[in-house]
Amino acid sequence: MLAVLLACAIPGAGHLYLGRAKRGIIIFLTITALFWSGVGIGGVLTVDLQKERWWFAAQMLTGVNGLAAWQRQKLAYQKLAKVAGESLEDRMVNEKIALVVPAETVARAYSGVAGLLNLMCIFDALMLSIMGVRGEPRPQDDKPKPKPKSLANKEAAT
Amino acid sequence: MIAALFYNPITVSFNSELWLLLPLCAAVGLIYKAIRVEYLSQLLIEYVKLLAYMAFGLVALCVLLWATHTYWP
Repeated sequence: MLAVLLACAIPGAGHLYLGRAKRGIIIFLTITALFWSGVGIGGVLTVDLQKERWWFAAQMLTGVNGLAAWQRQKLAYQKLAKVAGESLEDRMVNEKIALVVPAETVARAYSGVAGLLNLMCIFDALMLSIMGVRGEPRPQDDKPKPKPKSLANKEAAT
Repeated sequence: MIAALFYNPITVSFNSELWLLLPLCAAVGLIYKAIRVEYLSQLLIEYVKLLAYMAFGLVALCVLLWATHTYWP
């Protein structure tokens, strides 16, 4: 179960814990890169609990990445709240952080899909830990080969 | 500059939106194959195969939708 918790917190950490280091690194790099590419395209409002709850739920599945982006979004809202006089939308436009289509679609798809991919990895880590699988499977060549019949007969005779 | 990159959205045109599907497909394929392949030595070839399937599928879907849109009475 520790593997699942680790996988929820940091993408790939569950696989790393289960002895699958290379897969863990691949998962970490890919999911982190995909999530932050989305945030890079969409800016600080890509992660938005108020406006896009379903996307937000998917984004939070990236663990620390999602939490960091959410924290940045909250700070941006606090900064906007200090500006008086205009509506929130106007302030977003003035600050040049308003998210519009198609950047919005791409940004949310990237960051949300990153979270959903991590959900798949969490599920895989759960299955591996339930089955008691640790480390990478051995290559087929390492398996003990069956002895030739003639040799086996000789051994049986002696 | 990096902080601004993750603060302000970048401009994406409608023409480039479809091309941005490719990195998404690449990431989905890589993660899927990273957890599905039995031996890591098979990862690259399996990944390339899956990416080709996805690209072919998307192109086929595009052609189908374009043909439907153009020739449907």
